[in-house]
Amino acid sequence: MIERTNEQWLSDLTGPPEVQAPALEDLRQRLQRGIFYYLSRERSDLSHLATHELNHMAEDLAQDATLRVIANLDSFRGDSRFTTWATKIAVRLAISDLRRARYKDFSLDGLTAEGDTLPATSDALASNHSPNPEHATERSDVMLKIDRALDEALTERQRQALTAVALQDVPLEIVAERMGTNRNALYKLLHDARRKLRQHLEAQGLSTDYMLKLFED
Amino acid sequence: MALHEDELRKLINCIVTSHQDDCLDCESCGQQLDCLAELVAQGRSLDDLMPEVTTHLCCCRDCFEEFEALVAILRAEQGGQLDISG
Ligand SMILES: [Zn+2]
Repeated sequence: MIERTNEQWLSDLTGPPEVQAPALEDLRQRLQRGIFYYLSRERSDLSHLATHELNHMAEDLAQDATLRVIANLDSFRGDSRFTTWATKIAVRLAISDLRRARYKDFSLDGLTAEGDTLPATSDALASNHSPNPEHATERSDVMLKIDRALDEALTERQRQALTAVALQDVPLEIVAERMGTNRNALYKLLHDARRKLRQHLEAQGLSTDYMLKLFED
Repeated sequence: MALHEDELRKLINCIVTSHQDDCLDCESCGQQLDCLAELVAQGRSLDDLMPEVTTHLCCCRDCFEEFEALVAILRAEQGGQLDISG
């Protein structure tokens, strides 16, 4: 494979077919190797898959990624090496696919269904290992306040999003899709929600430092 | 809605890591990710570079996951480890 400068990549990929075809193939192979490395070495959740299965996944993803890179050539600004920029696109595509597969059955509906969580106070007391009863009371008191703050300070949408992302570790991308919005807008919504929650709790004398201390292990 | 104690800890942590309004969103973060990943793969410290991007990465698991993946691939490439498929 020839090493190309950024300018050569751009001119080859937009050049006449006899120049473009080998450049496309070089790009595809390069992306495939990067994706395969990521899937096989960095994803413990895929360790049950055989090498040929990972290879097959990498091949498909690299094919899609190459098409996406070509469709977005105009947006390459030259801030990095061209191959790094292309790999960034491939990585996003691969991770998106993996997220979608993993959360294909995820629904926001389950998050607000009544009775699917334990009552806060009994749960707090049951899981509270503090030998100090005063401390235990203080903790359950703060838990109730935080619980209430979620209801009082946030909109339904903010509460849903925060619950899914912050508590259940669902990727923003997935939650955004289910909410009919995009990741950027969801990030802003979550940002507002966190700020509102923080202000609401601080207004009741609950600083984040205090709460962190109270609930540290 | 009732919370479990471990959920509560997560929630408090998430509030603590919330930051000022003038920070980046996912889109602007994503635009700078390739450049940042190259520098980090070369050994530069994330904290010294583009603090707004770093702040976003601390608050956004999606962007962080993509950033880490990109850095891992770049490092493997530098170390000649990318020809191991098959
Ligand atoms: Zn982000």
